[in-house]
Amino acid sequence: MKIISFHIQKHGSIANDLYSNILESSSVDSDRRMNTVQVNDNFHESDADDLWYDDDSCEDSVEKSGKALDMDREWRRRHDQFHTLGYRDGLIAGKEAALQEGFNIGFKDSVLTGYNWGRVRGISSAMASLPSALKEKLVETEETRKRIQQLHESVQCISSTESLKLFYEDQRRKSLKQETAEPSSSETNQSSDAGVLENYQVQLQSILHESPLVEGHLKITP
Amino acid sequence: MDIFESSLNLEESHLREGYDEGYADGLISGKEEGQQVGLKTGFETGEELGFYRGCVGVWSSAIRADPNFMSARIQKTIKQMDELLQNYAILEPENEAVSDAMDALRLKFKVISASLNLKLEYKGYPKSSDAAGDIGF
Repeated sequence: MKIISFHIQKHGSIANDLYSNILESSSVDSDRRMNTVQVNDNFHESDADDLWYDDDSCEDSVEKSGKALDMDREWRRRHDQFHTLGYRDGLIAGKEAALQEGFNIGFKDSVLTGYNWGRVRGISSAMASLPSALKEKLVETEETRKRIQQLHESVQCISSTESLKLFYEDQRRKSLKQETAEPSSSETNQSSDAGVLENYQVQLQSILHESPLVEGHLKITP
Repeated sequence: MDIFESSLNLEESHLREGYDEGYADGLISGKEEGQQVGLKTGFETGEELGFYRGCVGVWSSAIRADPNFMSARIQKTIKQMDELLQNYAILEPENEAVSDAMDALRLKFKVISASLNLKLEYKGYPKSSDAAGDIGF
């Protein structure tokens, strides 16, 4: 319990994964961990009294074997106690060793999606804020200028936190779709299939397509 | 009688045994934790970079359409932002040059928007602590 609650306190949802990992490991293993819990709880009270026996009482064989059993149990307790101490230190060291690697993986999974979304923000708001004479030079038709303004207004309403949420939802939807392999319906509804963020991207792309003067195709240097 | 000694050895081996198990579990959970943090940081970093990229792209187009749109000094700053963005190692979060580049981008972006009298930042923009509720431009 100590190991587990330590995790829940410190590490939230990750703890659940870890918890299930522990439960999944062999039954011998989890038995021992259960033992560990008990030992840890009453270790301080019982340790000094139980650990070493006085040898001056005379004993018959039954007592002897009883004593041997106690000794066994004691060894086991000590084993578990030290095992737990080691486990904790190892856990922290292991985490530290793997955090950066995990961070890099997560970072690379999301940075380009964020980048593309950020471009929608940047292009639409910088366009919307240009003086109208300049806007008309860059974007020929009134209709396209309107579309840019609309795009800007809807994008501006989405805060950074909200877009991160939308990103998570898109990710989840994608992984779900991969599992069920459902056929994708055409773009009848904005938020139906493509994902909200991607949808804005598509809108921007089509606007840029109509406004060749605006620098839209920008390379990313990996 | 070396019960004490053997007990010490045992303790040490139990410690080590526990350590190894903990280490293995820690590798798994640490990686997952890091991945969650990375996913968030990556998205936010990408968003900010893309935002600058978009602005710089539009401004550069505007300058081409009307070279008098901005002062030479601001045009130069935009050019510098462009270079910073092109050289930004977007897929290397561990690259040490990256945070300097980000600082420079933020600073230049501020200079440009101030001189154009624009308020372009989005809600949640990293350095807009003073005007978090302020939208518009």
